[in-house]
Amino acid sequence: MNEKKVKIVKRDTPGALDLAKKTVFLDFIKGLSITLRYNLSRSITIRYPDEEKWIPYPRFRGAHTLNRDEEGRELCVACELCVKACPTNCITVVPMEDDTGKGIADRVAKVWEVDLARCFFCGYCEDACPTTAVRLGRDYELACFELDKARKTKEELLKPQSVPEDFEGGIIVQAKLQRTKSGIKVKPNLWKKKEKK
Amino acid sequence: MVDNRDINGDEEAVTTKELTLSFGPQHPASHGVLHLVLDLQGEKVLRADPDIGYLHRGTEKLAENLLYPQFVPYTDRLDYMCAMSNNLGYVLAVEKLLGIEVPERAKYLRVIAAELSRLAGHLVCIGAWGVDLGAMTVLLYAFREREMILDLFEMLCGGRMTLTYMRIGGVRWDATDLFKEKCAELCRVMPGRIDEYERLLTGNRIWIKRNKNVGVISAEDAIDLGLSGPNLRGSGVSWDLRRDEPYLVYDRLDFEIPVGQVGDCFDRYLVRIEEMRQSVRIIEQCLRDMPDGPFVVDMPEIVPPPKQDVYKNMEALIHHFKYVSHSFKVPKGEVYHAIEAPKGELGYYIVSDGSERPFRLKIRVPSFVNLQSTDHMSRGEYLADVVAVISSLDPVFGECDK
Ligand code: SF4
Ligand code: SF4
Repeated sequence: MNEKKVKIVKRDTPGALDLAKKTVFLDFIKGLSITLRYNLSRSITIRYPDEEKWIPYPRFRGAHTLNRDEEGRELCVACELCVKACPTNCITVVPMEDDTGKGIADRVAKVWEVDLARCFFCGYCEDACPTTAVRLGRDYELACFELDKARKTKEELLKPQSVPEDFEGGIIVQAKLQRTKSGIKVKPNLWKKKEKK
Repeated sequence: MVDNRDINGDEEAVTTKELTLSFGPQHPASHGVLHLVLDLQGEKVLRADPDIGYLHRGTEKLAENLLYPQFVPYTDRLDYMCAMSNNLGYVLAVEKLLGIEVPERAKYLRVIAAELSRLAGHLVCIGAWGVDLGAMTVLLYAFREREMILDLFEMLCGGRMTLTYMRIGGVRWDATDLFKEKCAELCRVMPGRIDEYERLLTGNRIWIKRNKNVGVISAEDAIDLGLSGPNLRGSGVSWDLRRDEPYLVYDRLDFEIPVGQVGDCFDRYLVRIEEMRQSVRIIEQCLRDMPDGPFVVDMPEIVPPPKQDVYKNMEALIHHFKYVSHSFKVPKGEVYHAIEAPKGELGYYIVSDGSERPFRLKIRVPSFVNLQSTDHMSRGEYLADVVAVISSLDPVFGECDK
């Protein structure tokens, strides 16, 4: 057997010194000194959801969004590549002809649905999309009471996100817990940064 | 003399009968969904029989219906405590079958990711172990550091638990400067934090009483039962795939393999602690040595060209379209590739029939094999020691049940 680069872990051997240390409870004192020190230091807990919220980094893969171009036209051309790339078959796209200028081409999605209950959040759909229409955004509060609510339709997905695409992220911001008829929401105030640690 | 008389004053022999106890699958100390059937004689364990399969999802069968790249997110769900290693094992196996070599930068990035994952995995192990034996504090501290690692993952690949960072032919995103900075910062604080866990646990008399000489397994028995990873090294066998069958850049890195002497729970604990220190060293070296350059192979059929090119270049668009809709064909053959995952030897055995989907995929998961030593380790021990034995084996059921 290869004996290169081996390190035998050190086990303390019980001796007289060890016994003496134990009688004065040195092992407990050592441990308690750590916990006591942390007792006096600043808390690192994020007070989520009542006061603070974590805004993820830009690469974060949260709930899906569908994007528009600068003129407000839908970027999706219903090519169904995202459907093919998806490992769990949770996207449904039905294309239709449309030459009213709703989309960037004369083909738009009639139906664009994703079942978030089955989704992996792997981001393969985002990688597959040739027009950057679908993106995994930074919304992560996805719990719902009914399974139907986990199916997101095109109308919902086209709404702007709570965190804009070019926002830096990776920070804790002030937030407010809101109770609405449709459930609970944590509304962040992106410009009120909170420092931690 | 013991008084054996009952209420009426009649003589009665006290007999203890064998008792069968179901431990789990909802027991808080059973690490997920482990169901142990324990035969007890009083407090002593006569036999421990793990009953598994509560989390079975048929991962191996699922793979047969998926394109090769599509299986990567499924591997995240095996050992969800350290998903990077699972990704890595799979992509390395497919790359071996394809016969491709990833660029240098990708290799370093993969090693950094895998070692961060090992840290994250061992932190959960040590923390949960502490809670199981009544030392709640260490879990909170371990999760604080784990949180730092998960933030790093989020920055690197956008996922915290289910990462899908590796891809066949490289990695999906390059490391940013911020990532490298924060990673270096983690390496700076980590040794001090590990010292803290040690101060809380290693010298503590309760921790020693609960772990020392509990669940002893000799080196021969450990090899016979197929143990791997820290559990094998705890018994004094110096076997680590990173050193003995090096993959990626491990042969260029300087690190030590911690081994134990006795093979009890305490040795397995010490080995894990030392492994965390070595992981920090590995990450430091990788950050120092990582070259610039591409992070994916230059093979448009395996890694489609970047998005910017797809818009401008017809050829790139065709490659992109072909990759997404049909993926790529993998040559006919069979391959096995194993890596040193945090829990032990994680191997993927792939049989390819030359199409875009694996014909058969077998995963050699360390938790499953390690779990079969539960009986050997807990026989003759007290019931309470079974908890320490399970924690020291560190099984994860996403992986064990597949
Ligand atoms: S994130 Fe992955 S699983 Fe979810 S819809 Fe996109 S491709 Fe499918
Ligand atoms: S979202 Fe993108 S990939 Fe999916 S159908 Fe629309 S254009 Fe195609």
